[in-house]
Amino acid sequence: MAIVQFENVTKAYISGDHELKALNDVSFTLDEGKFVVILGPSGAGKSTLLNMLGGLDSPSEGTITVGGRDISTLSDNELADYRAATVGFVFQFYNLIPTLTVYENVELVSEISKDALDAKQMVAEVGLSDHLHNFPSELSGGEQQRISIARALAKNPKILLCDEPTGALDSETGVMVLKLLLRMAQNYGKTIVIVTHNQSIAKMADVVIRVKNGKIRSIEEQADPMSADEVEW
Amino acid sequence: MLIRKLFRTAWSYKAQFISMIIMITLGMGIFLGFNMEWRTIEVDTGNFFRDTNYADYRLYSEKGFTSDDLQKIAAIDGVDKATRYLTVNLDIKGEKNKALALDVSEDFNVSTFLVTDGAGYDANSDGFWLSDKFAAANDYTVGDTLTLEFQGVALSGDIVGLIKSGEHMICVADKNQLMPDYNTFGFAYITPKKLKSAVEAKMKDTAAEELKKTGIPDEFIDDSLSKLLFTDKDIDKVLDQVYAQINLISDMEKGALEDAVKERLGRTIMVTPKDDHVVYQEAMGEAEEGKTMGSVLPVLFLAIAILTMVTTMHRIATKEKLQIGTLKALGFKNRRILRHYTSYGLFIGLVGTGIGALLGLGICKLVMSKNGMMGTYFDMPDWSAAVPTFCYPVMAGTVILLTLISFLSVRQQLKGTAADALRPYSPKKMRKMLLERFPFWDKMKFGTKWNLRDLSRHKSRSAMTLFGIVGCMILMVGGLGMRDTMAGFLDLLDSDISNYTTKVNLVDNAEKKDALKLADEIGGDWESLSGISLDGDTVSLDVIHNPNNMLNVIDEDKKRIELSDEGVYLCLRLKDKAKIGDTITFSRYGSSDTYTAKVIGYNRAIMTESVTMTDTFADKLGIDYTLTAIYTDKSADEISSSELIAGKQDKAQLMETFNSFVQIMDSMVVILVVAAVILGIVVLYNLGIMSYVERSRELATLKVLGFRNRSIGRLLISQNIWLTVIGVIIGLPAGVGVLQWLLAALAGEYEMKLMLGGLTYAVSILLTFGVSLLVGLMVARKNKKIDMVEALKGAE
Ligand SMILES: Nc1ncnc2c1ncn2[C@@H]1O[C@H](COP(=O)(O)OP(=O)(O)OP(=O)(O)O)[C@@H](O)[C@H]1O
Ligand SMILES: [Mg+2]
Repeated sequence: MAIVQFENVTKAYISGDHELKALNDVSFTLDEGKFVVILGPSGAGKSTLLNMLGGLDSPSEGTITVGGRDISTLSDNELADYRAATVGFVFQFYNLIPTLTVYENVELVSEISKDALDAKQMVAEVGLSDHLHNFPSELSGGEQQRISIARALAKNPKILLCDEPTGALDSETGVMVLKLLLRMAQNYGKTIVIVTHNQSIAKMADVVIRVKNGKIRSIEEQADPMSADEVEW
Repeated sequence: MLIRKLFRTAWSYKAQFISMIIMITLGMGIFLGFNMEWRTIEVDTGNFFRDTNYADYRLYSEKGFTSDDLQKIAAIDGVDKATRYLTVNLDIKGEKNKALALDVSEDFNVSTFLVTDGAGYDANSDGFWLSDKFAAANDYTVGDTLTLEFQGVALSGDIVGLIKSGEHMICVADKNQLMPDYNTFGFAYITPKKLKSAVEAKMKDTAAEELKKTGIPDEFIDDSLSKLLFTDKDIDKVLDQVYAQINLISDMEKGALEDAVKERLGRTIMVTPKDDHVVYQEAMGEAEEGKTMGSVLPVLFLAIAILTMVTTMHRIATKEKLQIGTLKALGFKNRRILRHYTSYGLFIGLVGTGIGALLGLGICKLVMSKNGMMGTYFDMPDWSAAVPTFCYPVMAGTVILLTLISFLSVRQQLKGTAADALRPYSPKKMRKMLLERFPFWDKMKFGTKWNLRDLSRHKSRSAMTLFGIVGCMILMVGGLGMRDTMAGFLDLLDSDISNYTTKVNLVDNAEKKDALKLADEIGGDWESLSGISLDGDTVSLDVIHNPNNMLNVIDEDKKRIELSDEGVYLCLRLKDKAKIGDTITFSRYGSSDTYTAKVIGYNRAIMTESVTMTDTFADKLGIDYTLTAIYTDKSADEISSSELIAGKQDKAQLMETFNSFVQIMDSMVVILVVAAVILGIVVLYNLGIMSYVERSRELATLKVLGFRNRSIGRLLISQNIWLTVIGVIIGLPAGVGVLQWLLAALAGEYEMKLMLGGLTYAVSILLTFGVSLLVGLMVARKNKKIDMVEALKGAE
């Protein structure tokens, strides 16, 4: 069953006298519970696509339907509620609140999400129970990213959106974080969309979308993706 | 290229730049305005006093001074000029409730006047020189005739000129009148020659009465007959008594002059320096007041302005760190970059100080100009604007300081290599706060924790905000409280102390016996005010007879004291001199007799520092006193004129003159409150924007997570509200403290007790919260515009 549907979505930026189409007439559908990887060169429009799916931005043209609901015409408040209930974000730069402790950063989402998961348990699942009362600045980059994964999942969203989640980490830590991300998404049965430059990750995906110049080059369904252990990192 | 960058950067920080300029302008403007005000008072009145030969000393003698006395005194080494002088309050004939101080300066070289219309001074003239302000208020012009009542005879003449005089620059009937009221009271000069003829007329009158008593028929009595009864010498003798004053210009010390006078005349004479003369005293009091005002509030303003500048410049420099790094990497020399960023401070300093100087001039003119607040108080021909010398270094210092602040903020960022500078500004590490040790911490909402930690993380920003709110509060409580105190003071005077309808001032040489008879006739209370020396200080001795409740002596709780005949009462300001039960020793002014009395209570004397006793007790001590005023519930019309009466004052009218004083006060209060509100808005907005910019990444994160704009806005505002609550809690007592200090410094001769109405508290608190809420909303509105994608793009 399709959980995400893009129909003729265009995102245009006006800069100076010319118009730049970061996304140009894009259409596709994604099924629930799938692991989706978006690949493409820099400036292709990957982040633009993900942000629109996550309700951070609205398309210039076309409709985006998530879980049967058109999100392209929502008001600011409706979009906020949509983000709170439906999507969890993991960014390249972890974007934790520096003045809140690890526990508080995760616990935070219970104020906006009705069926939030227990913060302590989520922190335990990413293996950082020892650091519950530390501030983000006292953690390494990898640890911070694990907390941001815990926070994204604690909201109990339908879809997990990750924009280059390992971009700021060394490869070893990156792999570790990625494995964790996938394991968690599978355990909780989430649809997960990852934007990455890493070709290896693509081997594990159910669906690989290639983007270039604001257009979708190909959508490739992999009937038999590799498991994390099989992949050559 | 750098110049273009200067403007582009200034534009991108326009909110901060504008607010810094406003702060410096306000700070500098109020600082200069308040300080120019008192300096201008000193300079302008000084010039006017010099131009009208305002006397440095006034010698008083009830017996009067002879020409011989004058010559002896003029001959004293150190006395530059001297003249016999008369000033006496007289009613205008044919006018209801209008009186003039009539002045005569025998030699017309001391205590003179400036002519604004009509003829100059002429010793042979038979006319009046009338106060131009009184003339304007009462439609008199040159050529009109004026008739005064002088010791029962009419003193009549044409108005030959309109004038201003230093002696009457503050034209009040006596010290009880706070503000001039030219509708009812003015002043006029006549020549000594005219005074002599008035005295002569009076003597003829008396002689005619005498003749009548001897049985001579009326038709035989005429001028030539009565003239036979006295000689020219007799007239001079009477004149000697009329000239009860010698005015002189001299640089001598009071003590030295007193000794010299005593030596020459062989008797003790009351010598009062100009500091005791109502005009000089009040004018210098105003200047003193200005100095006090100029030393607290404006400095507070300037300090807040500079501190705001420090925090803001530091923030801008840290935010510009990447830019600075880039410029360095591009090969710009440190010196060049420093100069470039330092020029921001210089620019702000110059513009702010420049506009501030104009604002200062405006504030000064608002007070010190013909149509300004002092225009109704001082009667002077020329109004200028003078800047105290120390203000120039303060102005230059402020510009230098501001430049230095930006220099130092940037230099801090320039330390190290280009690579260091290119690494973005990393906020301080978080540390746990004391508060977190308590169990309730865990129960708090995330927003509360977030805000509390944010406050403790950005201590200087929080402190500045708090400082701004406290400053705002102090200004409001101070301003409004001043007004309350004034109103309370007037209320005390109007309803608790004064219960009379008319105050009848008696002439200086009124016989006690006659005065008592008069008091009996018009059925009133009376008092006798005179100077005494108590432990070396000059205070008033107030002998009071008040069984009729017309003039009350009140205690600290505003209750009437039924005066006992067993001792004296000290006013509260003399409380330190003696405890109840102790005895005090005092002597009459100009006499060596001393008296000892037991202190039996304290009273609130609001006008003068005084020792109060009943007439019975004064008689017991054997003090010889003369009545100075009678207080009665009869209206002025019902009291027939008499030689004893120097003037009649309606209480309602007296209180009316206070009203213009209250109006001046009101304008000051409006300035202060408006300034407070602007101060509050600017400081809070500036800091609010800074906090918002610094937290924009966190705010964007919250938005991404799904927090609605409104709940994020609430978070931002609640931080403001907390700071406001704390600011108000600190600011309220601080405001009361500053006010108390101001009152103590300003009090002078009036006993002003701090009085604050509930409304003052309410208005100050509500306005402060209003300002804080308004700014909070303004900042929260910006939050809507945060572009989540943009804000989260870069590294932390
Ligand atoms: N706010 C904006 N204004 C103008 N153009 C923009 C804006 N945001 C993105 N673009 C343009 O849209 C295009 C797509 O940007 P996008 O961030 O989606 O690329 P990307 O595929 O995520 O690249 P990368 O892999 O480098 O992150 C780019 O050419 C970019 O310049
Ligand atoms: Mg991207």
